[in-house]
Amino acid sequence: MDKTNQRSKPARSANTTLRLPEQVLLLVIRYLTTLLRTPEALLPPLAISIFFLVIYQSTLGKAADFIPGINGSYLGFILPLSIVSGSLSGAGIAAQNLVRDIERGYFDKLLLTPINRAALLLGPILSGAVILGFQAAVVVGVGLILGLKSATGVPGLLVVIALGVLLGMGFAGFTVSAALGSGSAAATQGASFLFFPLTFLAPTFVPLSLLSGWLETAARVNPITYVLEAMRALLITGWDRTAIAESLVACLLLAAAMYVLAAIALAVRTRRT
Amino acid sequence: MNDREIIVEDLVKSYPGKVTAVQGIGFRVEAGKIFGFLGPNGAGKSTTIKILTTLALPTSGRATVGGFDVVSQASEVRRVAGVALQDVGIDPLMKSTELLVLQGRLFGASPAEAKARARELLELVQLSDAIGRRSGTYSGGMRRRLDLAMALVHQPKVLFLDEPTTGLDPGSRRDVWREVRRLNRELGITIFLTTQYLEEADELADTVAIIVGGKIVAEGSPAKLKAAMGEESINLVFEDAQQAGQGRVALAEMGERIQLDRDMVRIYLSQAAGRIPAVISRLQQEGLTPVSLTLTQPTLDDVFLRVTGERLVTSEVSKPKSPRSSRMAEAG
Repeated sequence: MDKTNQRSKPARSANTTLRLPEQVLLLVIRYLTTLLRTPEALLPPLAISIFFLVIYQSTLGKAADFIPGINGSYLGFILPLSIVSGSLSGAGIAAQNLVRDIERGYFDKLLLTPINRAALLLGPILSGAVILGFQAAVVVGVGLILGLKSATGVPGLLVVIALGVLLGMGFAGFTVSAALGSGSAAATQGASFLFFPLTFLAPTFVPLSLLSGWLETAARVNPITYVLEAMRALLITGWDRTAIAESLVACLLLAAAMYVLAAIALAVRTRRT
Repeated sequence: MNDREIIVEDLVKSYPGKVTAVQGIGFRVEAGKIFGFLGPNGAGKSTTIKILTTLALPTSGRATVGGFDVVSQASEVRRVAGVALQDVGIDPLMKSTELLVLQGRLFGASPAEAKARARELLELVQLSDAIGRRSGTYSGGMRRRLDLAMALVHQPKVLFLDEPTTGLDPGSRRDVWREVRRLNRELGITIFLTTQYLEEADELADTVAIIVGGKIVAEGSPAKLKAAMGEESINLVFEDAQQAGQGRVALAEMGERIQLDRDMVRIYLSQAAGRIPAVISRLQQEGLTPVSLTLTQPTLDDVFLRVTGERLVTSEVSKPKSPRSSRMAEAG
């Protein structure tokens, strides 16, 4: 059976290495393939996002008339919350991808290939981003069916989705660090929940102007606040450049901090001892 | 220096606060040979394989794989070495072709090359029929064979197998053995395998090193190790116990030791095979004809007992006590 060594031109096995973007793409395709084979892990977060959207709209929809700053569009006010909670679950999915590989020993197998270390981080994070982009699009679609009006039209809706994805990728830096640090699915799941309270240390149910005291302080340092504010402006009032810029800065700062953490966690996990 | 050799010199691995897992071992695996690293759990086998495959660093000492240093030339070692670790590292949600193609692509093959290679390998390990199924549905033996295929994607010159058949049923174990022999014979791959099964080392390895408590206590070909035991015997079965008794008397002078057990006579002697004619003619002089004649060679288990003072109990960690090891080459 000499053919195994000769027929398929082994020439490239000498020194060629795939470029990083190609490596990342291969891993993203692989993660998405396996995620699609476990719809039971994908559908509940999506269902919950839609469930809350419908519940908030039905129970609190009338509050728009009483709370100043909502401008009569409660759906436009509350839909960003649904997207942000979707960003959190998307970050969880990214980390679950990775921790599954670690637990199964497949991560070690990848380490024995000439793979770029950065691809090991970006693969799970970007596949999580694809999922949460899809999830945000579905939430927006349901919102439109419920009667959502976007003050900035379709382009604004796309920016809303993009902000949700960006925020989720920042969170993913944290959950992926937890996956690398613990190597355990349960611990990673726990770490994913740490961000959950952050959703409520923000102008979650009322505009920022109505918050006061410690909650206002907490909200002002919470990146979620700026993302919610920008999304709401896009849906309710129009193109608010300041709000969009602030939300981008918030997302980038979050991502920068979390990716440093993730890079350290990766270095620790892959360090030879 | 040969690109398929493994050279290990005075390798030490100690973990802080724990025992020294590997205590200064040294050996050389020649190109194209199968080297069996035999020892109980916790003897230092997995630690050694992790160092040789660049997953762990040695505390001191030196090792090269295919001419590359495992510490300073780790990525070159990964290019020439294929590794199937003890825990089969495959994603159960992926199909065998997907796993092999991804592995091939990461090693730099084009999509077409990677696909062709995956097909060849699945044929080689006889998994072509299971291509369409997720690897999670495979039996233990099939998973090992897929793992073996994954280790071969980049056409390694040296293959490391960490306990390739632990936990497999006898049928699957023989399948894996057949593959290992074939890879070695047909592709000329040097194979380093660890095992806690004497039978496995005996069956596959050109050279066996017995490792206990982080030290190599004996090394050589299975035949040489067993021959050094000097415990070959010829077993003769006779019509009845009376004839056997006469046989025993007739042969008493020929062997180092002789046993009678009902209708069977067992005579211990060195180079037993060559002395069968003499034994037969001696019996014929006495008018005796045995019903059957078999030759028994000492097993590696006997060797293990000799060098460690204990039987190899696969689930227990044996202590490195070797009071009777004087006849075996002790390696440091």
